[in-house]
Amino acid sequence: MKGLHGIIFSYEKHNSLRELTANRMPASVPFAGRYRIIDFVLSSMVNAGITDVGVVLHGNYQSLLDHLGSGKDWDLSRKHGGLRLLPPFSYEETGGVRAFRGKMEALAGVRSYLEGVRQSHVVLADSDLIVNIPLQEVYQAHLDSGADITAVCTSSVDGPDDVTYFRLDGEGRITETLYPLNDPTGCYRSLEMYILSKDLLLELVDECMSHDLCSFRGAVLQAKAGTLNIRSFVWDGYAAQIHTLKDYYVRSMELLDPTIRREIFHPQRPIHTKERNDASTYVDPNGTCCNCLVADGCTIEGTVENSILFRGVSVEKGAEIKNCILMQDTAVHRDAVLHQVVADKNVEIMASRTLMGHEGYPMVISKGSKV
Amino acid sequence: MKKECIAMLLAGGQGSRLYVLTSDVAKPAVPFGGKYRIIDFPLSNCTNSGIDTVGVLTQYKPLELNSYIGSGQPWDLDRLDGGVHILPPYMVEGDKGSWFKGTANAIYQNIGFVDMYDPEYVVILSGDHIYKMNYAKMVEAHKKAGAACTISVLEVPWAEASRFGIMAVDGEDNIVEFQEKPKEPKSNLASMGIYVFTWKKLREYLVSDEADPASSNDFGKNIIPNMLNAGEKMVAYRFDGYWKDVGTLESLWDANMDMLSRGDLDLLEDSWPIYARLPAEPPAFIGKSALVDHSVVTQGCEISGKVMNSVLSHGARVEEGAEVQYSVLMPGVTVKRGAVVRYAILGENCQVAAGASVGGSPESCDPDAWGITVLGPGTNIEPGEVVAPKTMLNRDHKEVHTK
Repeated sequence: MKGLHGIIFSYEKHNSLRELTANRMPASVPFAGRYRIIDFVLSSMVNAGITDVGVVLHGNYQSLLDHLGSGKDWDLSRKHGGLRLLPPFSYEETGGVRAFRGKMEALAGVRSYLEGVRQSHVVLADSDLIVNIPLQEVYQAHLDSGADITAVCTSSVDGPDDVTYFRLDGEGRITETLYPLNDPTGCYRSLEMYILSKDLLLELVDECMSHDLCSFRGAVLQAKAGTLNIRSFVWDGYAAQIHTLKDYYVRSMELLDPTIRREIFHPQRPIHTKERNDASTYVDPNGTCCNCLVADGCTIEGTVENSILFRGVSVEKGAEIKNCILMQDTAVHRDAVLHQVVADKNVEIMASRTLMGHEGYPMVISKGSKV
Repeated sequence: MKKECIAMLLAGGQGSRLYVLTSDVAKPAVPFGGKYRIIDFPLSNCTNSGIDTVGVLTQYKPLELNSYIGSGQPWDLDRLDGGVHILPPYMVEGDKGSWFKGTANAIYQNIGFVDMYDPEYVVILSGDHIYKMNYAKMVEAHKKAGAACTISVLEVPWAEASRFGIMAVDGEDNIVEFQEKPKEPKSNLASMGIYVFTWKKLREYLVSDEADPASSNDFGKNIIPNMLNAGEKMVAYRFDGYWKDVGTLESLWDANMDMLSRGDLDLLEDSWPIYARLPAEPPAFIGKSALVDHSVVTQGCEISGKVMNSVLSHGARVEEGAEVQYSVLMPGVTVKRGAVVRYAILGENCQVAAGASVGGSPESCDPDAWGITVLGPGTNIEPGEVVAPKTMLNRDHKEVHTK
């Protein structure tokens, strides 16, 4: 069968999302008022007509399982194909206990799944990327160029520190893959999204397995730059890699910019997520709300500015919220003052408390805490 | 498989008193309260009450309603056994079938459907009421009383009793007389149009009613009086929560405003959730120049203007300098720069161009000439155009008069 099969890697590279990833993988960190980070890549796949997606799980994936469920919210609960969750117990030896060592090892762990892939091509993606990309165009470009591997990258080098960079020749072929790189000027930043044929993928997985190689970057992109035709697809639309809490905060706040929202929430390529049943948000006569992204089910009786409110947040009378991100069902009681705070799910801020973070170092309150 | 109780939801009504709002859709599919359609209330009540089998009787312009209900998944009514079923009128041998002649005939024509589940009890619901109600409690009361029929009733002010179907009861709430819109009401218990029947009994009365050529095959006009006359045990079930028939433009507007005040109808209170099918839209954005006061906003909204005492459904947009007051904006409505909308209901995807004015406050004109302004779905208002209070326009921009 022609077409693309999606594989999403869920793992945590570094523990730099702090409290937000204490109980979950970066893939299921809440983002943009009603989504989880993985929704963006997953929806991009679904919107490109991809019907089969495997999610390679690693680490603490309970929250991700809750979120994805049967896949029906992404239209991926199907008789054939659909969403497949690939837990780490299919790894050899020590199960999922040991650290994630690389994509090739993770793929080797799910080799039998890969053999069963019905499509001719596979798109590999990380789950820390906020993007709304027409993947069918990337796939077409891959077929048209005759590349062995197509890597999606951006000319904007303004990303997290720990990312992979490419050097391209005049024709868009990737000549060098660099990591780490202190001065990325003139390079392209990898968005860690790759298209290749299923057959080549299996070949590479087997080769890496027998040579005890784990890294896609090292064992494939760097080692095979001369023998394989590895080409770039430059995506200069919006793309944000969320590696650190600072990335998370800055990229969240960017959503208050209408031009960025228009790119991320493209009417023809909707971002799907797990449904919740909340009524519309109510703004009380005592409440004021401006320059905010507000999900459903909130009750606003206080003042909220430049903030993002997830579903079911309540802000009582006299409370003041500025430059904050309040996740699902956070309750802020009377006269509390919050500036530059990221409150995880179900946080309760008692009356008259004052909490201040800083733009460069926002204050994070762990899931379920009572302050 | 046998079920103890199933529900039959009468959703075929045209809703002619909603005029332009039901020009393309059946009344139960009319949007309500920002996220919902009217039918979400009885469907969610069923799910929350543990009723997992619902027949929805459709007739008038059913396309949008059918696609909205779909598999029933948003209401958890996609079941292996039971679930939600759309029941349109159908033909039988010898070209004999017919449209549903009345509410009772609609059930009569679907006796086969009900018999498939062989239920002890059938709950009859209508698709034009806004309320949260636990039908399981009513069925329990019906069982306990050993009634043939239980009718849920609401105490209304005596002065208004003559607008309703009134149930006169004895000391034990047994119904002794039914009066349809009486001049001199004998009680102030109004029927809510929600019935629980013992199916075996109802089945008998449906069959004999069908055989009567003089009957109008209606529950209120025929079945209920016939059962009373025959001396069946009929009991009133008192309901004291919020309930509103939203069959008229005024009552639809009122019910939306009631929801805003979060009194008896608090949709944010989550012990009895109302479910809905919704498009995938991002959270609402409330801009720097926006002012939102005593209003609800829904996902997909973009607000840069002034919104007061209003209900904004998903995808509604209010541009900078625009003003919306005491109004209901249905999904996808756009109010452009500098336009003013007051005391109005704007149907789905209406566009109000810059500088236009739609509707006005009761103080702004002669009290007799005042009323809610209504724009049918898809109506476009030109830049600078003025639409007076009480005016109703259809999508072709023609004025429609209430009867």
